[in-house]
Amino acid sequence: MKFAFLFLILFCVVLQAAQPVIPIEKYTLKNGMRVILSRDNAVPVVTLYMIYDVGARVEEKGRTGFAHLFEHMMFEGSANVPKGMHFKLVESNGGTLNGSTHPDYTDYFEVLPSNKLAVGLWLESDRMRSLAITKKNLDNQKEAVKQERRLSFDNRPYSTAIVDRWPELAFRNWQNSHSLIGSFEDLNASSVDDVAKFFRTYYAPDNAVLVIVGDIQISEARKLIEQYFADIPAQPKPAKPDLSEPAAAAPRSDVYHDAHARVPGVIIGYPAPVRRSRDYYALGMLDVLLTGGPSSRFQLNLVKGKESLIQYQAEIGWPFASSADYKDPGDYAMFLLFKPNFTPQQVIDQAQDEIAKIQKDGVGPKELERARTLLRSDQITSLQSSLHRAQLLGRYEILDGKPELINTNLDNFLAVTSAEIQSVAKNYLTPERRTVLQILPAPPAAAQENH
Amino acid sequence: MRCTILPFLFAGTMLMAQTIDRTKPPETPPVPSFKMPPAHESKLPNGLSVVLVEDARFPLVSMRLSFQAGSKFDPHDLPGLASMVAGLVTQGTTTRSYRELAEELTSIGATLDGHTTPDVFTIGGSVLAENTAKLLDLLSDVALNANFPESEVQLRKQNSKQALLARRSQPSFLANEKFDALVFGEHPYAALSATMESLDRMDRKSIVEFRDALLVPNNAVLLLVGQLPPQSETLKLVRDHFAAWKGKPVPAAPAKKFPESKRQLVLVDRPGSVQADIHIGRLAATRTDPDYYPLLVGNAILGGGASSRLFLDVREKKGLAYDAHSELDRRKDAGVFTAVTQVRNEEVGTGVEAVLDNLSQMAKAPVTAGELTDIKNYISGGFLISLETQASLADQIDLVSTMGLPKDYLEMFTSRVRSVEPDQIQAAARKFIEPSQATIVVVGDASQIEKSLEKFGTVQVEKAK
Repeated sequence: MKFAFLFLILFCVVLQAAQPVIPIEKYTLKNGMRVILSRDNAVPVVTLYMIYDVGARVEEKGRTGFAHLFEHMMFEGSANVPKGMHFKLVESNGGTLNGSTHPDYTDYFEVLPSNKLAVGLWLESDRMRSLAITKKNLDNQKEAVKQERRLSFDNRPYSTAIVDRWPELAFRNWQNSHSLIGSFEDLNASSVDDVAKFFRTYYAPDNAVLVIVGDIQISEARKLIEQYFADIPAQPKPAKPDLSEPAAAAPRSDVYHDAHARVPGVIIGYPAPVRRSRDYYALGMLDVLLTGGPSSRFQLNLVKGKESLIQYQAEIGWPFASSADYKDPGDYAMFLLFKPNFTPQQVIDQAQDEIAKIQKDGVGPKELERARTLLRSDQITSLQSSLHRAQLLGRYEILDGKPELINTNLDNFLAVTSAEIQSVAKNYLTPERRTVLQILPAPPAAAQENH
Repeated sequence: MRCTILPFLFAGTMLMAQTIDRTKPPETPPVPSFKMPPAHESKLPNGLSVVLVEDARFPLVSMRLSFQAGSKFDPHDLPGLASMVAGLVTQGTTTRSYRELAEELTSIGATLDGHTTPDVFTIGGSVLAENTAKLLDLLSDVALNANFPESEVQLRKQNSKQALLARRSQPSFLANEKFDALVFGEHPYAALSATMESLDRMDRKSIVEFRDALLVPNNAVLLLVGQLPPQSETLKLVRDHFAAWKGKPVPAAPAKKFPESKRQLVLVDRPGSVQADIHIGRLAATRTDPDYYPLLVGNAILGGGASSRLFLDVREKKGLAYDAHSELDRRKDAGVFTAVTQVRNEEVGTGVEAVLDNLSQMAKAPVTAGELTDIKNYISGGFLISLETQASLADQIDLVSTMGLPKDYLEMFTSRVRSVEPDQIQAAARKFIEPSQATIVVVGDASQIEKSLEKFGTVQVEKAK
């Protein structure tokens, strides 16, 4: 029930290990729904993760925020699940749940005590089969989304600048640049027919992947999945929108006055390489060197050293994705909060100088080895949670058709050389390719000018 | 209702989806339990308690070195000092600079950070199991030899001021700050965070004094959880790194003296707010109080999760708010019950009324059997899920040793929750949830909302700092 965007996560890991090998069993039901099972009986817990191949980037003009509005509708009941019962059934069976909308996919999960798996399958299959699309539910959820927007975005520092303004600045193609949260006007204009059409088109079994991770018996899980999902009819494959960006667009910059912010910030972004190209892996390692862990260059040289930064985060695909679920086109972007005794330009220059050092000198073997160890330990740590494993398996399937990347992708990052890092820094992270958004604290009156 | 045919009758044959009854949720067994791994406890001659727990699920080891030195030990004029020390303890030692520490940590795949609660000061982290001895070395260096370089102290003070400025812009912070001040009175629990003035007053001397007085072995528990070396080897490693550390008498914790709960209503004026943050509550049971489990279960029925009474009434039925919940703050020397919501200015009176009604109802009538069954599953399932990661398992075990809980606390948690009866919940609600003696704090634009609060008592208006 939220828009996923990375906020205070300094470093978010993505990648996979050589060490704990995650078992994967992948197959497809007759109706085209893909299923991935991964068994782990260490704790009697199971994650059920349903990912649909539709995100906010498919929205049409006049319907901004629709993918997210639709995600809310998925909790409003279905043929056999009365309104409000989805939450109640998961919670009264000892589980937790949520859904989130992303640029390139929408996902839903239930984490349950493992002997409650059937409850989760029943809930997910019933809403895929027979979502209750009524005017009353729609009106109700339009209000809920507006309230969510007021509370989670419009009333919080930096949020509107990040979510609405930044994509407008970084992208030229409307599919990429429009507000993923949507305007109140567009939300109001959505009709029950829009919802029904969206449901038919995108929430079909052959446009979805079901992932189950945790304490299961494979044969029993397969049997239950067959029973609950196999007779939901397939639909024609939806067309994909053109997301391409013009090749040689001049970078832009802007200043946003934020009434809620007390500390100045700046977003710096550079168009990033194609997903899973050699440059993509090299940029991933470069990001670790710049911003990963307590000995990163930003920490040592800018938080310490120059003492300008207070907090920083950076990702390929920021703010809505990280390298695991980044899909081009997108930026490698960083969000920096800094002390008011520095000017935004000074901070932008300092960040660019750190990049320039790598462009000039590359990176030494010790530092590169540290970055590799950091990636390795972070991925082992993150794989402990069955939900995280399920998310990775599902996202790799949706984005790459290769859930096995959970076990192999780390090696692609570990193989990156100093020369490759230097080259990606030179080719991608130059001032000529840089988009900049300054976010400056403003009294409430000044902030009105942004609207 | 369609006919039901049990699916396993068809085992081994091609299953047709129509064979299951979709009209109602499948029947499933009760939430399973999880056997906690055994803990090995010992003590070094200098008084350091050592707890070892084998967790073979991942090639990782988690460490917690926890002291009875939380923010309640802050000197009266230096709120935020414990937190400042915790932030600085990993920023340099007599043998390693910040850079050296940070590079060593990264190179062994480890994290190490200090943090505080009102009761406990913890230096904790995790490491790839193959490097356990190396993280133990860094942990002991930080605990024994942190040297708080002047430049790091100044930097931390400046950054803390910026962080405080940012927190002060949030109405929920202002509400928590006022609420804690009212319910805890003269006790140091009353101070939610540092102030600009206390940050100005802190210096290297006060920081070193805090460390020297409180971060000593006889005031600490060292917990190691994970893929550990054999026990004798692990204990030898611990002795090698911590045996030379000198113990000494530690100052007593502040007296457990708290004000009597009474109805009071404070409006913190935040001009321009379009909505009001409402916090209503009072002192309540701690984890070791006989009323604790009934209160825990009752609180969850009232305000835990999306099926709770507050959520269903205030949000779903009345449409007053996006968030309406209640919570228990379970400190060592006092518990606090609070119900929280945020409503639009024009609905403030209705919002307070709705919360108060729900609080009263908990004391007036017993909860239903259905509510009780559901919530017991909710709590025990949540507990189970929290044990998935090693860090969370380590935190749970650490809680037992640092909060003075019975040794069987985790083992017995689920069955104690399951044994709670409706009359016990009602009795606990009369003591702790029923609002006649509750403190009410509202943060919002006084010019818009003061009038609608007057029916709940004398409104004391204060300016937001």
